[in-house]
Amino acid sequence: MEVALEDNNLMENILPPDEQEIDVELEAKEKKYLRGEGANLESLKDKKLKTQLASREKLYGKSAKAAAKIEKWLLPASAGYLETDGLEKTWRIKQTDIAKEVDILSSRNQYDIVLPDFGPYKLDFTASGRHMLAGGRKGHLALVDMMNMNLIREIHVRETVRDVAFLHNDQFFAAAQKKYAYIYGRDGTELHCLKERGPVARLRFLKNHFLLASVNKIGQLHYQDVTYGDMVASIRTGKGRTDVMEVNPYNGVVALGHSGGTVTMWKPTSQAPLVQMQCHPGPVSSVAFHPNGHLMATSGKERKVKIWDLRKFEEVQTIHGFHAKTLSFSQKGLLAAGTGSFVQVLGDGSGNYSRYMSHSMVKGYQVEKVMFRPYEDVLGIGHSMGWSSVLIPGSGEPNFDSWVANPFETSKQRREKEVHLLLDKLPPETIMLDPSKIGAMRPSRRKDKPTRGEIEAEKEVAVEAAKGVEMKKKTKGRNKPSKRTKKKKEMVENAKKTFPGEEQGNVAGKKRRIGEVDAAELPASLKRFARKN
Amino acid sequence: MGGLKRKSSSSAKSVAKSKKKKKGPHLPNSILKVIADQKRPLNSDEEEEEDEIDSDDEHGGDLYEYEEGVPEEESRKNNRYDRHDNYDYELPDDFEDENVESEDDDFDGGNSENDDDDDDDRHTRMLQSLTGMPSAAFQGESKSKPVLFTEAYPEGEFNPTRDVLEGKNVLTEEDFLAPLEGKPGYHKTSKQIARMRKDTKHVVHAPLPKPQRERLERKAVIGLVDGEFSKWVHLVKKNREAPTVYFNQEVDLGYSTVGAIASEFQPRTEFEKKMASLLNDSEVSEAHRDDGARLLELNEVSMEDHIKKRDHIAKIRNLLFRHEAKSKRIKKIKSKTYHRLKNKDLKKSSLGALMDPEMAKEEAMRQEAKRVEERLTLKHRNTGKWAKRMVRLGLNAKYDATRAAIAEQLQMNANLSRKMHSMGDGSSSDESDDEEGLNDGSDEDTPSRLIAKAKEKTLKTMEDDEVPNAGLMSLPFMARAMKKKNEEANEEAKRALEEYEEWENSGGENSKKPVSVSGRRVFGATAKVEAPKESKKDSDNFYDNSDSDNDMAGVEDNDMEDVRDNASPARNTGTITETEKFDDAAGNQASKTTFDVAMFASGSWKKMTSCKNTESKKESKKTRAPISQSQDKKGSRDEESEDSESEAEEMVDGVLASASKETFEIPSQAELINRAFAGDDVLDEFEKDKEEVLNQEVPKPEKPVLLPGWGDWSNVQRKRGISKRMVMEHEAEEKERKQKLKTRKDARLKHVIISEKVDKRAEKLHTTTLPFPHTSKEAFEHSMRMPIGPEFNPSTVVSELNRPEVVKKTGVIIKPVKFEEVNPNDEVDDEHPRNHQKQRSKKKTGKRQGKVKSK
Repeated sequence: MEVALEDNNLMENILPPDEQEIDVELEAKEKKYLRGEGANLESLKDKKLKTQLASREKLYGKSAKAAAKIEKWLLPASAGYLETDGLEKTWRIKQTDIAKEVDILSSRNQYDIVLPDFGPYKLDFTASGRHMLAGGRKGHLALVDMMNMNLIREIHVRETVRDVAFLHNDQFFAAAQKKYAYIYGRDGTELHCLKERGPVARLRFLKNHFLLASVNKIGQLHYQDVTYGDMVASIRTGKGRTDVMEVNPYNGVVALGHSGGTVTMWKPTSQAPLVQMQCHPGPVSSVAFHPNGHLMATSGKERKVKIWDLRKFEEVQTIHGFHAKTLSFSQKGLLAAGTGSFVQVLGDGSGNYSRYMSHSMVKGYQVEKVMFRPYEDVLGIGHSMGWSSVLIPGSGEPNFDSWVANPFETSKQRREKEVHLLLDKLPPETIMLDPSKIGAMRPSRRKDKPTRGEIEAEKEVAVEAAKGVEMKKKTKGRNKPSKRTKKKKEMVENAKKTFPGEEQGNVAGKKRRIGEVDAAELPASLKRFARKN
Repeated sequence: MGGLKRKSSSSAKSVAKSKKKKKGPHLPNSILKVIADQKRPLNSDEEEEEDEIDSDDEHGGDLYEYEEGVPEEESRKNNRYDRHDNYDYELPDDFEDENVESEDDDFDGGNSENDDDDDDDRHTRMLQSLTGMPSAAFQGESKSKPVLFTEAYPEGEFNPTRDVLEGKNVLTEEDFLAPLEGKPGYHKTSKQIARMRKDTKHVVHAPLPKPQRERLERKAVIGLVDGEFSKWVHLVKKNREAPTVYFNQEVDLGYSTVGAIASEFQPRTEFEKKMASLLNDSEVSEAHRDDGARLLELNEVSMEDHIKKRDHIAKIRNLLFRHEAKSKRIKKIKSKTYHRLKNKDLKKSSLGALMDPEMAKEEAMRQEAKRVEERLTLKHRNTGKWAKRMVRLGLNAKYDATRAAIAEQLQMNANLSRKMHSMGDGSSSDESDDEEGLNDGSDEDTPSRLIAKAKEKTLKTMEDDEVPNAGLMSLPFMARAMKKKNEEANEEAKRALEEYEEWENSGGENSKKPVSVSGRRVFGATAKVEAPKESKKDSDNFYDNSDSDNDMAGVEDNDMEDVRDNASPARNTGTITETEKFDDAAGNQASKTTFDVAMFASGSWKKMTSCKNTESKKESKKTRAPISQSQDKKGSRDEESEDSESEAEEMVDGVLASASKETFEIPSQAELINRAFAGDDVLDEFEKDKEEVLNQEVPKPEKPVLLPGWGDWSNVQRKRGISKRMVMEHEAEEKERKQKLKTRKDARLKHVIISEKVDKRAEKLHTTTLPFPHTSKEAFEHSMRMPIGPEFNPSTVVSELNRPEVVKKTGVIIKPVKFEEVNPNDEVDDEHPRNHQKQRSKKKTGKRQGKVKSK
């Protein structure tokens, strides 16, 4: 409250230029937290509702203001960035150059782990970025604490491992192995064997819904609730085998890339895809979603990367001559793409994605998976010879929210969080393209009534048509002009009759009037029979 | 006539109008006579009164008072009579009156009339003398001469005469005063009038017309009411618009401490008042405040009080002594009868039971015994001789007393045999009783019925051995094997049947035997069964009695029930042994199970087709068995090798994949072209897909077709083709479909299919109607856009966002709205003035800072 009061005082005074600037900045932030504009209250007729909504709007404003202020003044860290002078280009800067400039703690994040035996590695980070899971194709599973580079657990399953995924925290992870998918505990014990899914190609975990989604070799998409183990949905995509699968973090919709160049989006409550998009003429090799859920990046085998706006389902940008085997968006919206032994990071400068940084590894390394580490400016690269970590300034969110994900979580906090997550678990039907519509009015299945204007327009057209009708030439005195005009009039009247509308009201009025007139005109002896109104 | 009547009634009041004499209607003489006769005595009093009031009216009133039915001619009903008849007598008197009254009248008319009057007078006088009746009775008679009419209707207050209307004959004060001249009081009145004329100030104007007056009144009232109500407007507005209405401002929960309650104490009763007077006695308090020496003085007891107290003590002591003496005497009594009776009395009163725990125990024991006895004998269950007789004779229905007695007995029975909750062991014994009863029942019907059942079953299974005509079982060699098996089974069944018949013939004697033998008796071709049976426990002798019993064993057996049921048809194919074995295995050797199960399963192939509900279970068992076998056989080495093999395969696959995956080298032009061509195909396919989806979601209308044979009899009809109406309808449908397709989200996006299927499960997440105060969808959805939970808002706002509309403490009485001055310019204060809350919120802000940010 105090802060608010101070602010009011400030507003009254004439502000010095610095503070004016701050004010503008704050306003921009406030707008972000207001989530769109309030309704137009002027159009409301109910005064009570109007004032109530106005007071509510005021509270929202207060809340947004508080949030903006906290963001402005209290968040400790700011995002990193690369600053170049003159003709220097950001993509020419190498990791070695960066290493010289950054602090020791950050420079420790540049490393290569060489594990040549167990071949291309898949990576996954927990939501907080504290833990990393690496799964070697040939059966090597490693759980690493990234904070102190401590190998928590390493197991060898002696089977092909196609994909790995953390469940809601570092305590559990799933691995798609040769025949079945398995769930392991943090200490490497096998907890479950998920036989129902068959040989799984890709695994993804939907955090808010506690669903483990997987697509198997025969193109079946499965959703399994990991809280009580029920198979929520089992969908046959009918598009053949695929190993391209990604979850839209904004709405929980799962996207699959197919060999026909289509990307399909799915939810567990419907057997048909929500959206099918023809993205590429050739097979889709990878898909990635921007954290705000509005952008999707796809790459096709025809050496193109496309960026799509998911609100309009339109292509925003095409990046030519670049084939990405794997794509990943960072929290701040950088897009990393890996091919061969080359990784490129695209930055979102002025609406268009363009080269920001690039990193090439030793020749012969095959990049399998790139993934940004949350809350750190680090990009993890899983490749055929182990995994590497490079610094990408400005990729991670600088300030973590301990209520959302806390890298420094204690075990007690973790347990508390787990309970909260379970309590806040969303049912599978909340997965939809636009989750902001939840709680709103149900979209009407069809257009209920044509508007008055439409009716009028249609009527006019019909009348015109009736007028334009060519009359037959009749004989025997039926072709008189008077008859013709009469007939024409009749036709126009008929055309008008087919459009109901105000006439109904008029008819009722007419009826009433007729009754009244009757009562007045009746002879005295019959008056008593007249209808009383 | 009406006009006349009015006049007569008002004649008493208006002095000015009652002038001269009135002429009544022209009535026949006879009627007049009758009227006069009848009226006279009745109206004599009235007449006198009237005479007193106005002397000049003579007796005219009498006649006009009479309410005569209107003659037909006059009522003008149906217009049967000419109108001009009325001119004779309708209005002349009024007319005349008017003329007489106005003094401006010309003399000639007056003279001629006077002459007429003279004639009239004479005539009436003559009549009077002849008939002996008053002249008034004949006054109207002579009115037969023509009269001049200038008005077509009677004069009245609503029908002014013409001259009044024209303004010629306006009445002035002088007109009224003139006749009074010379009379006493005239002078005074004229003076007053003169004064009034001069004084224009105090002129009272004529009242406004009613509607105008009322309008003015309403205006005034509206102003008043508006003022009164508009005072409240701000208050009401404030209350309506407040996001929260509080009813916890003046909470008076009364006293919180004992001291506070005590301080408000008011002595009410006599005793309290006395105490209060003593406590508040100034003398006493003073004495306390001093040294206390005076307290002794005040403590004086009067002689009277002392004596009273002493007497009371003496009385009490005396009573005590007497009681003691009495008990001593009773104790000395040696008669046993007396003591017994006394004790009995004590017990009966049940007071003793309450007093003495031992007695209570005894009582309880007795009650328990009674209960047991009741349950054993069922004495009170209308099983007695008397009760039976009563019921038989129907006396219980006849006599109330009997019925009551029987009901009482039943009640007693219910009471006694009801389970006591307090007794733990009672219930268990009950249960065992029940079980016993059940066993008894089953024991009774074993012999004959069970045999019959077994027979029935065997027959049934013999009948329904059909060969399945699909799947594995339909293969020829399987069929052959099945046939063989069936034959065997049939033979066995026949044998069993024979045996059953034998059994039946031998009767119940046989059935008793095995029970007495105590071991088991085995029937039929069960030679090989006997060996494993040795291992059976003795405890299950119940279904070791006989094989037929075993068929029924499903009733009792819990563990193996379903398995046994499955096997029931297989039993006659010699699998009785198997099931038994199965039992054994389940009981003793766990290791053997799998094998047995496998066998069992193979034995009951046939069953699989017929009974579906057990299918899955069996199948699982079957599958498990081979697996386990294979495990036994192969061992772990094989599996490993298999694994390694597959792994190697995969690895090759992986290597291959990695090798084939393109690297940095740019693909050749040819390859690119290839891909482009491949892409074209893909696009086409997608379009087809889209078409399909659209057809599914917005189905195409059916084309109009004729039923074959209808409407194509002749060439003409054929030429004409499908009727216009159908074509039109089809076109309309097509149009509608096009419209629908147009409104789809993916209408303009060639490369996208957006499903518009309605997700029924997600529908519950939307509202179907707008919640109450909202009327516009847009406003509602905008108001919903912000989350209101504590995760998204600072705590200061959260409480306000989520506060209920009405905050009320329990027990607060909500009073009607009180008027208070409200400044209309004040904004609605939505912050509740509660300081402690604010402080708390301030503390929390620091903690929450991280929270709000990344939402």
